Amino acid sequence: MNRRTGLLFVTPALALFGVFVLYPMVTAFSYAFYDWQGTARGGFAGLENFTALFTRAPFTTDLPRALLHNVLFFVGTMLVQNTIGLTVAFLLHRRVRTRRALQTLYAMPYLVSPIVIGYLWTLLLSPTFGPVNTLLTKVGLESWALPWLGDPDTALWVVILVSVWQWIGFPVLLYGAALGGVPEELSEAARVDGASHAQTFRRVTFPLLVPAIGTVSVLTFIFAMEAFALPYAFGGSTGNPAGSTDFISLLFYRTAFDSGATDAIGTSSALATLLFVLIFGGAYAATAVLRRHERRITA
Amino acid sequence: MTTRTSRSRIALALGAGVLALAACAPSSSSGGDDGDGTTLTVWSWRVEDKAAYDKIFDVYEKSHPGVTVDFKPFKATEYNKILATGLAGKDGPDVPQVRSYGQLQGTVAAGSLVPLDGKVDLSSWDENVVASAKGKEDGKIYSVPLARQATVLFYDKKMFSDNGVQVPTTWDQFIAANETFLKKGITPLAVGAKDDWTLPIVHEVLAGARFGGADFQEAVTSGAKDFTDPDFVASVEVLKQLEKYMPKSVTGVAVTDAMTLFTSGKAAMYPGGSYDLATLQKGNPEMEIGVMQVPPASGAPSGATGTTAGWADGNFAVNSKSPHQEEATELVTWMATPEFGQLVADEVKQISAVPGVTYSDPVLKQVADDYDKTGSPYLLLTDFRYGTPTGTDLLGKGAQELFLGSKDAKTVSTELNSGVMTWFEPTS
Repeated sequence: MNRRTGLLFVTPALALFGVFVLYPMVTAFSYAFYDWQGTARGGFAGLENFTALFTRAPFTTDLPRALLHNVLFFVGTMLVQNTIGLTVAFLLHRRVRTRRALQTLYAMPYLVSPIVIGYLWTLLLSPTFGPVNTLLTKVGLESWALPWLGDPDTALWVVILVSVWQWIGFPVLLYGAALGGVPEELSEAARVDGASHAQTFRRVTFPLLVPAIGTVSVLTFIFAMEAFALPYAFGGSTGNPAGSTDFISLLFYRTAFDSGATDAIGTSSALATLLFVLIFGGAYAATAVLRRHERRITA
Repeated sequence: MTTRTSRSRIALALGAGVLALAACAPSSSSGGDDGDGTTLTVWSWRVEDKAAYDKIFDVYEKSHPGVTVDFKPFKATEYNKILATGLAGKDGPDVPQVRSYGQLQGTVAAGSLVPLDGKVDLSSWDENVVASAKGKEDGKIYSVPLARQATVLFYDKKMFSDNGVQVPTTWDQFIAANETFLKKGITPLAVGAKDDWTLPIVHEVLAGARFGGADFQEAVTSGAKDFTDPDFVASVEVLKQLEKYMPKSVTGVAVTDAMTLFTSGKAAMYPGGSYDLATLQKGNPEMEIGVMQVPPASGAPSGATGTTAGWADGNFAVNSKSPHQEEATELVTWMATPEFGQLVADEVKQISAVPGVTYSDPVLKQVADDYDKTGSPYLLLTDFRYGTPTGTDLLGKGAQELFLGSKDAKTVSTELNSGVMTWFEPTS
């Protein structure tokens, strides 16, 4: 097949990508550099919209806080979701007969919309009617019956843990596939040489899982930075209570659609651009590091 | 050579086809001339009122032969986006329902609306209501207000009489009533502080009289006072004082939970807005709901009375790109008549913005009467949403911090003040 035929086959997808992804992205990017009066574009504003994000209320307080929450979301998800995910995948790997069924079971919650998940957990954790606190009180753990979503100290972690609960099937599947790709001969050879189970995992299996761990980490990073639906379902667009479940995407949503500010399009586009640069930059840097690492192992 | 050319032509055609597809994908048609008549499209975020508006516009169509009004509601949470896109392009409605006060300004600034001065007469209307329809910059009227909303304290009439509690007329009686319910294991005040947007309303209901209602608005908008004023700080403190009468862990209670507490007979009073009435009635159709004004808390400025704070909502305007501006303006002019106002009261079951409308629902009637007698503007919405951060956002979050104990009333008021003063300019 020559290049032109190749081009012919690529064109439809490319056109769709261009119209529905690239074009809106580039326009949003350009919007960030203009003055706006409602939907009417004014003159070129340079970096004014960007400096507003760092100098003007409410951004001066909301943006750093939202960013911190995104980072905590990433760290929390990495620590909890991906370690539990790897453990579960490892345990499932050895259960040949029930593996499929259990994998499906673990993946079940992510078939449900995050909005529904958030709403259901809000009901479960409600301090007035919620069964969770009723149950805790009944079994004598009254001091544990906290206002889970009403206290800034617990609200963010509830969001993170529910997200972990919803998405746990994802690392289980990816690690499961990666474990399936580790040649049995290598572990066997290690065991013949007298390595214990723990040693085999640490010295043989784990290093071969590094590419998968890398992929999962990058995807988790993107996922955590874009977090929107679940926090929105839990705390609304303002990150209730008192901004303790605020995220950058929520701040964007508030700025663009809730504030009613006349320059909303400019500042929100600037924020979107910033978020894109952050995600793209982070993901690109992480991938570059991982590639180098992979080359070292395969070399 | 020939095959190559034809191939690249196919590629080109394919590409162009996709582009053409994309270009005509998501659009909705606006009104057009069908034969000899004109179709006016009206956009709204009130999906639940579709049947009521269809009835209302039938009345208009009868008296205006040749005009068909097509009422098209969208999901409320998506509406701002849809309307902004519609007005920016050429597929917008002839008559859009628009937001009020500060939230109207973006649409006005974009030049999307036709000024209606000299076309509609709002001179006999409540000043606070008319302000909702104006552009802040030029002071022109850009819309016709539809409804008045008011903050109210709903109460369960049967629960009051069963427990021998009278509707309080002094602050001491109000506190005594709360104590009575608390002792009987009934939540006195159903508040859902998890939803920050409800808290400025709760503050208005419970403490509007403490800071002095309409008098305070005048002082603040003219620059004579600000939100660090001792009376305002004391009004925020009232929320903290009343916290013990609200559900436990109040910042974890959603407003829907608070409403359920009230409609299921677990709470005696619910501070909210007149727009909540329909939901409460649906929640428990058997319940006898009353409304009252909270008496001024101790220490209130002399002469302060209980007050019903109100604002206008759901205004209708004329799209400046509409091909039927004349017909659209005529429709909007009709929306300022008592005939339309009465239809809104009867069919949409809201307090009409048009003066002189009568109400068959006793609760709506009382709210309208209370507002006419001792009304005041819901200050943070009517005057402090013209910039970001908005007054309502700041007090909502601040009140949560107050309940959580992380900030005191003074800090909350100071932060509210410094937030809005970044953009607010007093009138004198």
